[in-house]
Amino acid sequence: MSPEPVQTRIFEEEILSVSDVSLSFGGVKAIQNVSFDIKRGEIRAIIGPNGAGKTSMLNVINGFYHPQEGLIRFKGKARRRMRPSIAAAQGIARTFQNVALFKGMSTLDNIMTGRLPRLEKGIFGEIVNVFLQAAYLGPARRSELEQRKYVEEIIDFLEIQHIRRTPVGRLPYGLQKRVELGRALAMEPELLLLDEPMAGMNLEEKEDMSRFIIDVNDQYGTTIALIEHDISVVMDLSDRIIVLDYGRKIADGTPGEVQSNQAVMDAYLGVPHE
Amino acid sequence: MMFFLEVTISGLMAGVMYSLVALGFVLIFKASGVFNFAQGVMALFAGLTLVGLMEKFGLPPWAGIMATIAVMILLAWLIEFLILRRLVNQEHIILFMATIGLAYVLEGLGDVMWGSDVKLLDIGLPQGAVDWLLDDYNLYVEKLEVAAAVTAVIMVIVLAIFFQKTRIGRALRAVADDHQAALSVGISLRTIWVIVWSVSGIVALVAGIMWGSKSGVQFSLSLIALKALPVLMLGGFTSIPGAIIGGLIIGMGEKWAEIYMGPIIGGAIENWFAYMLALVFLLFRPQGLFGEKIIERI
Repeated sequence: MSPEPVQTRIFEEEILSVSDVSLSFGGVKAIQNVSFDIKRGEIRAIIGPNGAGKTSMLNVINGFYHPQEGLIRFKGKARRRMRPSIAAAQGIARTFQNVALFKGMSTLDNIMTGRLPRLEKGIFGEIVNVFLQAAYLGPARRSELEQRKYVEEIIDFLEIQHIRRTPVGRLPYGLQKRVELGRALAMEPELLLLDEPMAGMNLEEKEDMSRFIIDVNDQYGTTIALIEHDISVVMDLSDRIIVLDYGRKIADGTPGEVQSNQAVMDAYLGVPHE
Repeated sequence: MMFFLEVTISGLMAGVMYSLVALGFVLIFKASGVFNFAQGVMALFAGLTLVGLMEKFGLPPWAGIMATIAVMILLAWLIEFLILRRLVNQEHIILFMATIGLAYVLEGLGDVMWGSDVKLLDIGLPQGAVDWLLDDYNLYVEKLEVAAAVTAVIMVIVLAIFFQKTRIGRALRAVADDHQAALSVGISLRTIWVIVWSVSGIVALVAGIMWGSKSGVQFSLSLIALKALPVLMLGGFTSIPGAIIGGLIIGMGEKWAEIYMGPIIGGAIENWFAYMLALVFLLFRPQGLFGEKIIERI
């Protein structure tokens, strides 16, 4: 990780705004009145101790959970109940804390699944497509080849050519995380949600992953929201940081601002009892 | 020797028939982890609909088949809309119960719409024995069964290409592998379910046609579904080739047992032999011949 301080970048356009969102499961309040925004092009980190509601927040953003209160706007459009498949179609991709890959499929096939929503045609269009594809003919085949080309570019980008045909279940954890990133990238997302992209990695793997995250942000211009426990990584990578604790937002700002925030220190180190 | 060969062949052919039904089970089980108890009834329903449409409207076989395919697709859509959609995220056992209910609804529906008497189904499939085998080798092999075998082979090849090479096939495998991840890449579970049920409805139609041409479309057809169970235990619930091989082994084993063990222990072996075989198999290979091995970390 580069030791020199990251230059402060300025972003204007808001891609996602979350206002006063609350989410509870029965009596457990996972998120309480949290508001923040994500600007187009930035790398935004969400940090906080275990159980602070970070993953729940990502699940709300991509439609797995439906908050009881609050409003979420994506690309300026407010949304009510969101289904994950619609969130994906609108340009939100994600990875998971405990790698959710299709274990029986090869690396190539896994990343190819990221190209699926490109061609949604509604149920009956799909059924017609089933027949076309069963015969492996015509337009179905042509688009298959086009998708394949895009996926090969991603494979080159992530430097995983050597494992293209390997079933991902057999890959070491670090590589699985990389394949999962590849699958998310294949969706050409506008907003990429990364849930602990470096959990369980050794130093070298972490450095690789950091480099990929910066490159994705740089080359594809993808907006990234990430959850990460490794604070030095977060400080290096992110433009702005949100800190959650017990489901509430306790701080929000640049790495420098967050670092010197008393509430954050308390949350991480504990407050001495009287 | 010739006799042994004839027994074996007729066993294999019967096995192909089981496989046709088992295939439909595998498709739905693969994509949703649900054992569709109604698969056998779907074959019956498809057969009844085909006969009914051909009789009522005087349709030629090809048009009748097209119309029945449309009906099966509509049925799949209805099943998704009325049942599956409401039971998302429920335990598998609850979905299984729902398919039992569905089986009875479909059986009643078929009865109400087309009546309950045995119907002849003739779409012009070849009947009788294969002549040259009978003349030259004195082997009795039914043409219809050969047609069923050829159809099964074609269907397996088409399904294999479909699953391995196409994007919807990939989506199906993705859903089978990990629901949550599939959702996150934008696969719509609803669409996938309609597709899977449509495809298995079409497979059911093929099974219905073959069984119907052989012994008439009748309600006992739905009981064949039960014979598909040991086939699946043997072949593995998630494997398409497994459904075929499992069917062949069961069919062949049954015939051998009937002919060579029957006289010793007094007949009717065909009724229970398949279950016995599956049970023994379960002890040694619970995931079936081709099923995915389940390794859980504790």
